[in-house]
Amino acid sequence: MGLTSAVLVAVLAVTVAVLLAGLVWLWPRLAGRGIRPVLARVAFLGCLELTVLSLIFVVVNRSAVFYSSWSDFFGTDTGSGAIIASQHGGARYSDSRSLPPVVVTARSAVRLPGRGRRAQTGRLQTVRLHGLLSGLSVTGYVYLPAGYTARPAARHLPVAVLISDEIGGAAPGSAQRISAVAADEMAAGRLRPLILVMLPARIGQDRGCLDVPGGAQAATFFSQDLPHAVDSAYRAASPVSRGWALLADSSGGYCALQLALTSSQTFAAAALPAAGYQAPPGPGQPGGSRPLSTQDNLQWLVRHRPMQPVSVLFTGGSGQPWLSLARPPMRVTSVGQADGQWPAASALDWIGGELSPDAGVRG
Amino acid sequence: MGLTSGLFIGLTIAAAVAGLAVTVWLWPRVARQRAGPIAARLGLVAVSQALAVVALLAWINGYFMFFGSWSALFGGGSAPPAQPAGTAAPSSPITITGTDLGPVPGGSSVLPEAVNGRLVAKAPRYYAEHHTGTSLATAGGLNLSGGADRAVRSVGEVLQVMIRGEHTGISTGSALVYLPPEYFQPAYAHARFPVVLALTGYPNVTWSIVRFLALPATAARLTADGKIRPAVYVMMNVSVALPRDTECTNIPAGLQVESFFGHDVPLAVQQTFRVRSDGSGWAALGYSTGGYCAAKLAMLNPYQFSAAVAMSGYYRAITDNTTGNLYGGSRAYRQENNLDWRLRNLPAPPVSVLATASRAEGIYPGTRAFLRLIRPPMRGYSLFLPQGGHNYGTWDRELPQCLEWLNQRLTAARPHAALGQPAPIG
Repeated sequence: MGLTSAVLVAVLAVTVAVLLAGLVWLWPRLAGRGIRPVLARVAFLGCLELTVLSLIFVVVNRSAVFYSSWSDFFGTDTGSGAIIASQHGGARYSDSRSLPPVVVTARSAVRLPGRGRRAQTGRLQTVRLHGLLSGLSVTGYVYLPAGYTARPAARHLPVAVLISDEIGGAAPGSAQRISAVAADEMAAGRLRPLILVMLPARIGQDRGCLDVPGGAQAATFFSQDLPHAVDSAYRAASPVSRGWALLADSSGGYCALQLALTSSQTFAAAALPAAGYQAPPGPGQPGGSRPLSTQDNLQWLVRHRPMQPVSVLFTGGSGQPWLSLARPPMRVTSVGQADGQWPAASALDWIGGELSPDAGVRG
Repeated sequence: MGLTSGLFIGLTIAAAVAGLAVTVWLWPRVARQRAGPIAARLGLVAVSQALAVVALLAWINGYFMFFGSWSALFGGGSAPPAQPAGTAAPSSPITITGTDLGPVPGGSSVLPEAVNGRLVAKAPRYYAEHHTGTSLATAGGLNLSGGADRAVRSVGEVLQVMIRGEHTGISTGSALVYLPPEYFQPAYAHARFPVVLALTGYPNVTWSIVRFLALPATAARLTADGKIRPAVYVMMNVSVALPRDTECTNIPAGLQVESFFGHDVPLAVQQTFRVRSDGSGWAALGYSTGGYCAAKLAMLNPYQFSAAVAMSGYYRAITDNTTGNLYGGSRAYRQENNLDWRLRNLPAPPVSVLATASRAEGIYPGTRAFLRLIRPPMRGYSLFLPQGGHNYGTWDRELPQCLEWLNQRLTAARPHAALGQPAPIG
């Protein structure tokens, strides 16, 4: 009769019922005085208790098979097994390893107006980034500063990630123009050398860089895949050394703040336009629910989650309510500006100053 | 009076015995064959049976340490929730709260040095304070002749630590860290060790990993035998908010448990101990609910954890009375916490997972189904025992092979020529 068999449960249950009925029925016969009736009572009750406890144990044990057999219960099982590599499914699915994390599709020099062709301005690469974990493939740009190739291999550069939907064109927000601004700031000594990664805010249908349940895992792409991809192809500082920061114009502002507040283990600072950021841009999430949309309100995050160890610069506004909400270790600064243009140069300079001074040193 | 204290368990047993005695004593007064006395008999029997059941449950809970305290069972007490908004984070993410847990205490495995030695039953300071007189405090230790320093240098040390999650605000005071003897040896003074994050089942206390799974003792024995290289073992309770079963889930608008184990704990350990920070230096291991969590942590954070061992785990996003609503009412989000669904619908992460089970266990078919779904670049491995249940006897038999499997996947600490300087602690 196995420890987990139904027969054992039935036998114990019947025994309990018989003992209980017998106890109630025979009660008067054991009611006498003297040592023998008392001992009989104790024995009767003891048997009943033992059977009831056994029944409970066997029923509970059956529910999750804590002990699978009597030998298991008494600890005499000795059987062992071998570790076997699972061979299933390998051929039926496409192997995402075949996609490298970074593919450079175009290279160009960065042109600075008013300077000679030989000026040290760095290089701009058009790249296809593939996220191993998120499965997302994103086209973006990587600006490598002047002297990047000549640097000692042990010196790694901090990384600023610009999130904007303007990077593709030729407008002032294009990757080429932003890179020129960065080159200019570095040449003037206002910005430390850093790698500038430029990515679109709109990934799939999502414009908030969120992990959409059942949809694009954009937050996973930015916080996990991106550092891994950049590390695989460039001499970039590690996020652990607080060497990564975010930068955004109005199209990527929600993205940048959302990532800074939920992935501060990756991003140490963020510079973005001042706004309320109470909901992600674009339509709501298809797979969402009320608690999920609650935490998409970035003001709710700051009010209800622990303060994150990030530094945030709000440009072109009062910076409220963020200035009054933030407490250490979160730091908030705000600067207004007159002409209404997104101040790429000053935002970059601020980012350079926020990144840890020893972010690039690898031991 | 602690839930697992000898006093409480003793009182429940005394109450059960008293219930029996009272029934025997009152027996003659309800001996007439009429409805009233018969009902009174049934009542007496029911009360005495109930007291016996309570005593049995208290004793089993005290022995297996499912719930370590009243607040763990009923909530409201010391379970540390998220840090309130607006409070500053403490300067250090890890505080050592107990150092006298005895070198490699507990467990059914005994180190070679202990065979001829006197077995030491030593109360860990934390449990001595919180669980007076309980069986939890009994830790079969080692021969300490030559002093504690010599023992630490030959078998390592178990520390109790408080870990504060910098990003999630979750903190736990019951984590344990096993530092191997090499950690204290001059040759390893500048070496960074690989880390195995070990998680309990639910409900459980962390000490079970030391006492029943015998992880430090087994690791020390295998290292001494040259079968595995030294590693640091961080042992934690899988539930950060007992009595709630949080299933290592980032709860929408709630506790971010997955981020706590996935980012906060590795960062805190890296800032405190000489350990590796890259994914090839980190692995997760757990049994039962801890097995699900270990597999999930690796699959969701493959750049942090390159390997996981799930002992008698399950692979679906469960929900029951103890979990409450973990997925914000979103079917899509719940699916993303289902590891089978992830393997069917999302890119396979670059991690290795070893799934173990006994063929007699209820989770055996689910384990096989999970392994069948694994595809490159993820790698699946199985360890199936012919017999055994959902208990430590089964896991103890599997553990040595699991640790050897992990050893092949973790980047080892590299010793340098001994410089004669003792290694700094911490």
